[in-house]
Amino acid sequence: MARWPSIGAIAPFVLLIAVWWIVTELQIFPRVFLPGPVDVVRSFGSLVHTGILPEYLQDSMVRLAVGAFWGIAIGIPLGMLVGLSSRAHTALWPPLLFFQAIGDIAWLPILVIWFGYGLTTMTVVIVYTVIFPVILNTVLGVRSIPITMYRAAQSLGASRTRILWEVVLPGALPSIMTGLRNGLGYGWRALIATEIIVGTSGIGFLMFDARRAGSVVEILLGMIILGILWYIVDGWILAPIERATGQRWGLVTR
Amino acid sequence: MKNLTIRNLSKTYFDPYAGSNVTAVHDVSLDVQQGEFVSIVGPSGCGKTTILNMIAGFLPYTGGEILLDGRPVKGPGADRGVVFQSFALFPWRTVLENVAFGPKMRGVGKAQREKIAHEYLALAKLTEAAKRYPAELSGGMQQRVGVVRALANEPDVLLMDEPFASIDAQTRMTLQEELTRIWQEKRPTVIFITHDVGEAVFLADRVVALSKGRVLEEIAVDLPRPRSWDALNDDARFKELSARVLQLVRSA
Repeated sequence: MARWPSIGAIAPFVLLIAVWWIVTELQIFPRVFLPGPVDVVRSFGSLVHTGILPEYLQDSMVRLAVGAFWGIAIGIPLGMLVGLSSRAHTALWPPLLFFQAIGDIAWLPILVIWFGYGLTTMTVVIVYTVIFPVILNTVLGVRSIPITMYRAAQSLGASRTRILWEVVLPGALPSIMTGLRNGLGYGWRALIATEIIVGTSGIGFLMFDARRAGSVVEILLGMIILGILWYIVDGWILAPIERATGQRWGLVTR
Repeated sequence: MKNLTIRNLSKTYFDPYAGSNVTAVHDVSLDVQQGEFVSIVGPSGCGKTTILNMIAGFLPYTGGEILLDGRPVKGPGADRGVVFQSFALFPWRTVLENVAFGPKMRGVGKAQREKIAHEYLALAKLTEAAKRYPAELSGGMQQRVGVVRALANEPDVLLMDEPFASIDAQTRMTLQEELTRIWQEKRPTVIFITHDVGEAVFLADRVVALSKGRVLEEIAVDLPRPRSWDALNDDARFKELSARVLQLVRSA
């Protein structure tokens, strides 16, 4: 269920925009360094009109979606394996911690040499960033399932495979969602950073390109878009899933 | 007849803190007839839950044997239904889906297993709660679901591990009366673990008094059925049997 933000949620932003407006109208800073809200809206209009903004926005979102897809597709099964098998835990936990520490853009120098300035580099960085919080939280979630859940399923005749689907996955889901939320948050930031450094399109590239052109108004626009996009992803995708699962089941307190 | 036979059952484990072997269950023998209701009563740490976990197949035993219908028990299985003290309902499944879980694992089709589940929910007066999630129910309601979830799978033996221990006193009495009613209707074989002497006597055909991992005595309960607390609270025979069991578990 998607929810429009309430008046109460919008109020702080209204206040912020008002202050911004007044500061720019009073000409405290030169207009070139700090354009006003009207300039940003005008810039938004022209970038939409030329088609640059929709295209860049789409590029960034597709990259995030691809990263999320692979992060989930690899992260959840791997997390379940490490969470369930003590042998896998012994073998994989230390390398997981090791590689987790080499955060996202620390890989950029070597990735640029291997894959060049392009989509592959960006995809690797975002998958890499999304996957660790997903794995680690899945492990945590699997290990937090009470033993009586397994016992109840077993004494009702569930096979090992059925237990994976009926107990392990739903039992770990609230924790997996937390991992996904964190992973996508980090991934979103890593993506923008990567677009700034190696990008040829995307919101990060838009902002960096604007800097080159000295267009503060487009930089501000990029920043605002980043904030709004995350608000949408979180409020319209992640939060409703959490409301329908962990919260409904009483596994997470509201 | 699917009888449960326990012969010279023992459980010894190594206690890393004491640095020695501890015997939790010592040479326990017990025969339970099909359709019989047996309570095992004893104080905390007497080994009663360990015995139940071994019958359920959750724990391996180190000596003796457990035979169900003449076959040794190895690991958990649908032939032994379990009702847990912590309810252990699946929070991500509705009440109806919880009760239909056993039949679903047996491969019963959706329509048929929901019919079975509705039937058992009606038995426990839970029809209204079918579409709700466990977290939305009170403890007493949740354990009603726990009981019928196990029963809906039609196990040979129903193992109940202090199922009403965490439920308030008034609700507990209602649940005990309902359990005797459901038992009379479906006549499952029940092994009921409790530390509450009154509960053990109220429910069972036979009470096994346990202490320090050993069976002290078995007491036949010859109270008439159906049973209710209104009738039994002041019943001389009930008081006599309860006093006898209490004396046994306290003196050991």
